Amino acid sequence: MDLSGAAIVGIGRTAYRRQSGRTGISLAAEAVRVALDDAGLAPADVDGMTCFSTGDPATPHRVSHAIGLDEIGWTVNTYAGGNQVALVIANAAAAIITGQADVVVVYRVLDAGVRYGKVTDAVEVGGVEQFSAPHGYLVPPQWFAMWARRHQHVYGSTCEDLGAIAINSRAHAVANEHAIARDPIDLDDYLAGRWIVEPFRVYDLAYEVDGAVALVLTSAEQAKDLAHRAVYPIGAAEGTGAGGMPDLWPDQTSMYSRIVAPRLWERTGLSAADIDVACMYDCFTYTVMATFEDFGFCEKGEVGDYFRAGRATYGGDVVVNPHGGLLSEGYLHGLNHHYEAVLQLRGGAGVRQVDDAELALVTAGAGPYGGAIVYGTERPC
Amino acid sequence: MSIDWAKLPPPQPAPDLDSQGFWDSIGHGELRLRRCPSCALWHHPPLEHCRRCATPTEFEPVTSTGTVYTFIVQRQPAVVGYSALVPYTVAIVELDDQPGLRLTGRIVDIDADEVHIGMRVDSRIELLPGGDFHIPVFSPTLPREATP
Repeated sequence: MDLSGAAIVGIGRTAYRRQSGRTGISLAAEAVRVALDDAGLAPADVDGMTCFSTGDPATPHRVSHAIGLDEIGWTVNTYAGGNQVALVIANAAAAIITGQADVVVVYRVLDAGVRYGKVTDAVEVGGVEQFSAPHGYLVPPQWFAMWARRHQHVYGSTCEDLGAIAINSRAHAVANEHAIARDPIDLDDYLAGRWIVEPFRVYDLAYEVDGAVALVLTSAEQAKDLAHRAVYPIGAAEGTGAGGMPDLWPDQTSMYSRIVAPRLWERTGLSAADIDVACMYDCFTYTVMATFEDFGFCEKGEVGDYFRAGRATYGGDVVVNPHGGLLSEGYLHGLNHHYEAVLQLRGGAGVRQVDDAELALVTAGAGPYGGAIVYGTERPC
Repeated sequence: MSIDWAKLPPPQPAPDLDSQGFWDSIGHGELRLRRCPSCALWHHPPLEHCRRCATPTEFEPVTSTGTVYTFIVQRQPAVVGYSALVPYTVAIVELDDQPGLRLTGRIVDIDADEVHIGMRVDSRIELLPGGDFHIPVFSPTLPREATP
């Protein structure tokens, strides 16, 4: 598999705010226009558009119309959370490589109508959650707090270890003007954070915001003539186990990454040691812990020491979430991780630029489902 | 938000054709799950046909006891109908009938700080407020060796 026949040539985003006062379509259209402008392209150049959502109204049809297109060719609206970000981007690349589209825009938008941390309306719940929701157990922080507790039991990991991940993300966000949470925190601050759902404190949870992110992809050939250095998706992998049901995953000390990491490293011929920037999906601190281990950056149970030793930041082994991640930059459902990876590989990240960044891993998802992409500054030979 | 969601009922299940028998039987005071009559595999969530051998499954009584695989303590309100109950404890319980056969439910009759992974629990059936559905909850049992 070689996805590098396509390239990311443009990136765009809106401001990230607690409350934007704007609709999803408005936010998405802004991010898409910014991304096209960044690429040196116009809306009329776009013939493909795709997003992932959980039923939001800002569909590719509506957003393409909103940026002025009278018709659009290739569109895919994937019903998914952050678990399928990598898949959506890989599909966009595949559409270009197979000639189904020339210029594809990938976007994700979250407005005030979309919040995942609480359910406040009376609901009837079907599917697998009909067996869990009636127990007051229905939102993702609860599912993954279960997993974190199991890891603590099996490997002796601690809340202080989760805190080391939160502290690292926040330290990076301090230098990121786009981040929603920029006040540095130390271990005392972390431990003083209020409990949300044990073993998660407030700093263990992603920071939900309104905003939109967009990426523009075209062929590697066309990319040579455009404004920025092209960034190539050089490999991708996906995996889902236990039917995608978090409570049924046999061993909650590992995640989908136990399946996906060997698949990705085998396809790319790379390993964790090759990666300069790791944008690890961080809906929760524990997601970073489990996936970081599974992708092979360290052994099980060693993440806390790894982060405390400075190995996950500038001057260390790999810079994890230089933008601050979903924990501190904002919860754009993981598409902002891809934005950051492209920015870093272009050398355009300013004060938070990772020196000589050539390869970036971006993971997507948590628990039983997810995927990952490796981006590079060069096409593989 | 002006809605007082603390006063709304908790989430109600929406049974489907595969799960109706679970809700019917627990409503009559018995915990039943689907099981394959051919290869004896239990299924939860329910499946019409066995995922291993494709034989039609049937609801059978399951033992009410199990072991806490993992658990959470909900400290902040997050789910409608449950804000007055915080802090409350929810566990994933592995039933004794089959490795990996899991039920999720609240742990009751014990202080949250005393719940631990590996703890033995027994289920009982309670009415879910807001409708006619019943749900299992779990409470700690005596260690098996201490049971007369």
